[in-house]
Amino acid sequence: MPLLGLHGVSKKFGGLLALNQVSFSIHEGEVAFIVGPNGAGKTTLFNLIAGVFHPSEGSIHFQGQEISQLSPDRAVRLGIGRTFQIVRPLRNLTVLENTMLGAFLHTTSPARAAQEAEKVLRFLHMGNIMHLPARGLPLPTLKRLEITRALATRPKLILLDEVVAGLSTAEALALAELLRRLPEWGIGAIAGVEHVMPVVMRMADRVIVLDHGTMIGEGKPEEMVRKPEVIEAYLGSKYKELGL
Amino acid sequence: MRRAQLLIAILSVSLSLAAPLVVRSDYLFQVLFRVSLFAALGLAWNLVGGYAGQLSLGHAAYFGAGAYGLALFSKAGIHPWSALLLAVLVAVLFAALIGGVSFRLRGPYFTLSTIAFAEVLRLAAKNLVSITSGDVGLPVPGLFAKSFVRSLYLAAVLLTAVTLGITAWVSRSKFGYYLMAIREDEDTALSVGVNAARSKLMVLLLSAALTALGGGLYGSLFLFIVPDQVFSIDISVEMAIVAMLGGAGTILGPLIGAAILESAAELLKNLFHEAHLLIYGILIVLVVLFLPEGITGSLAHRLRPRSAMAAPSSKEPDTVPK
Amino acid sequence: MDSFFPALQAILNGVLTGALYSLIGMGMALIFGVMRIVNFAHGAFMMVGMYATYVLFERTGLNPYFGFLASAIYLFLLGYLFYWGLLKRIQGQSDFMQILLTLGCGLILTDGTQLLFGADYHQINLALLGKNVHLGRQISLNAPWLISFGIALALGALLYFFVMHTMHGRAARAIAQNPYAAPLMGINVHRVQAFSFGVGVAAAGIAGGLLLPVFYLYPTVGDQFTLKAFVMVVLGGMGSIQGAAIAGLVLGVVENLTSLFWGNEWALAVDFVIFLLVLSLRPSGIFGSQRV
Repeated sequence: MPLLGLHGVSKKFGGLLALNQVSFSIHEGEVAFIVGPNGAGKTTLFNLIAGVFHPSEGSIHFQGQEISQLSPDRAVRLGIGRTFQIVRPLRNLTVLENTMLGAFLHTTSPARAAQEAEKVLRFLHMGNIMHLPARGLPLPTLKRLEITRALATRPKLILLDEVVAGLSTAEALALAELLRRLPEWGIGAIAGVEHVMPVVMRMADRVIVLDHGTMIGEGKPEEMVRKPEVIEAYLGSKYKELGL
Repeated sequence: MRRAQLLIAILSVSLSLAAPLVVRSDYLFQVLFRVSLFAALGLAWNLVGGYAGQLSLGHAAYFGAGAYGLALFSKAGIHPWSALLLAVLVAVLFAALIGGVSFRLRGPYFTLSTIAFAEVLRLAAKNLVSITSGDVGLPVPGLFAKSFVRSLYLAAVLLTAVTLGITAWVSRSKFGYYLMAIREDEDTALSVGVNAARSKLMVLLLSAALTALGGGLYGSLFLFIVPDQVFSIDISVEMAIVAMLGGAGTILGPLIGAAILESAAELLKNLFHEAHLLIYGILIVLVVLFLPEGITGSLAHRLRPRSAMAAPSSKEPDTVPK
Repeated sequence: MDSFFPALQAILNGVLTGALYSLIGMGMALIFGVMRIVNFAHGAFMMVGMYATYVLFERTGLNPYFGFLASAIYLFLLGYLFYWGLLKRIQGQSDFMQILLTLGCGLILTDGTQLLFGADYHQINLALLGKNVHLGRQISLNAPWLISFGIALALGALLYFFVMHTMHGRAARAIAQNPYAAPLMGINVHRVQAFSFGVGVAAAGIAGGLLLPVFYLYPTVGDQFTLKAFVMVVLGGMGSIQGAAIAGLVLGVVENLTSLFWGNEWALAVDFVIFLLVLSLRPSGIFGSQRV
């Protein structure tokens, strides 16, 4: 049984078909990346899995359970953690408190939550800035804060929405190295949306390619970047530029 | 910082309890009653407006429900203290109804809907003459037989102490963190498993109960209430200003706000007669322009470490969880 | 059909009242649309318009049907300055700060008026006051209301034309649609917003001037109109000018019918109930499409 399974998922916003009959599954231990040009429906897809939106058609299963009608807070309680592409820190709370909020999912004690949060923060090299308020932090730090907050909920599946976008390539690769170690945290699978191809190539076991809301390919990253439709839709020029 | 605030708050409440040792005049007790009543009300509002960030301008609904509930249930022959408890229950029911509708709205729409609910209750109290006697008003039983004003004052201090205790608990509990998460960003709160709808409703019920107790005490001091007095939007606004002036989302803020606002209003009333009315408007504008975080908030902010351009260090060793 | 003529009368009266409501609501909708600010001082500005017209009438004998023009200019300037002096300084802050600021300014205006003029009720004496226009035997329309209605209708149309067809109006609508893109199109956002705020507030002031012949005047008279203006903005679809105009007429009719069947004292309560129903069931409004 896959950890996450989507079957014929479509999403309409008014007259706009944002996602059209998307089906795929993610298995335990897998790192799957969803790629595609802007407006392909990647973030919409994540919002459907995380319960922010509900599909117009199709079903989503998590560990065998139908979740397509769940609210976001219920989804995270089942073990689906997520980050936001446009960072959404709790600005007036400290870095530690931001992360504690994730940890509160499994404890009512602030002391225990702080302990748990501290562990996560140290893992992402943020132990030294724990007590700073989130407002005023630079974007790379806030991107990491998105991850620590989601990580502290101890998810089984984590949805990373462009967590390295906006970072320098060196920063992005350093973060990718850390993210490859997420399974140490008991995370069963990682699903990512990413534009930065070097990170995708290095991290992904499998790549799912979306274009205009439709899946146009699925497979190993090195296969995908050779597929003509995929190159045409998105990767072509960019891929050559990067020289990978 | 939180601990220092709590210490100062406990100290000032204890001092207030000792006031009867030195204060003799009923007039002074009335002024002190107002200060401590609005301290309690500001704290109660602060739970919803400060911690959860849900900016209600309709708390007069619960305040009025407390006062009118006390009057009506007593009129029906129920003992005043039981009547007060029933009134609190009614206010909580109103809160459940109002919260159920209003919390589905965000931003200004939420605020507007809270005003509308309070106004509907005010108009109902004015117009349902057979029950409420309308604008003629209703007598309210004095809750105490002996040394009436002084006892009411002590009751108000006690209410402040209770509300303070609840606030202190909320500010360091999981519940309080969840409320603050909702205030900062509701979508983020949902993404870490906060049941925002339930948390908001819970805190509103709590706040409404405390506000209704305040309304009951207030009615009892005047012995007589009319709708435009206890259901007035002025009450809602004053509760919010008390908290905002002192510092919304802090423990000490509403206490400072109440002390400054209520004593200033009293002083100016004696000095300038009519002109004291202007103080509310002017204070609101000044707070918004110069002290958006309130007195306590601005002080706390100054004492806190700044995050200039903090970035994660790469030197720290990785720790691997069990 | 005992209640046919009374109901028809109430509906006609409602339309007359409603046109003045529309003017107030359109002003609020313009401000909300362009600035996303809920102007809690709106009713207070209307009240100031009433008092300005009143003072002109008392001091110089200027008929309110002309005096409202002077108070419109006065209110436009007041609103314009209010924007530059206060509103502009808190842009980008939370909704609640904006609510508090306009609320505080409304209180200052109301309480300041009370200090200057006292809390007493005033009414002006126009020769026109008791005159009625009869339509058949059963229906009659109050003359001053009729004149106010005519002027309000003309000015409402003018305001609509201003928003839809002038440069300023187009700029205002561009800002309403996308405040971030508008400056890129060469629109001076602050100037347009200040102008719109002035116009919105002047619309309320004009309505105040036109209400003077038919309404009691007292410092807190505007309070209920602030709330009514919200009701219209919500009913009309947030920020839609024509929606607010239609909502004003509907509100006038509903209030008059409520007064007829349930009593005057329930009219305002019915406004709020409608408001709450619309907010919770159809937040995009009834008479206009939501502008996001």
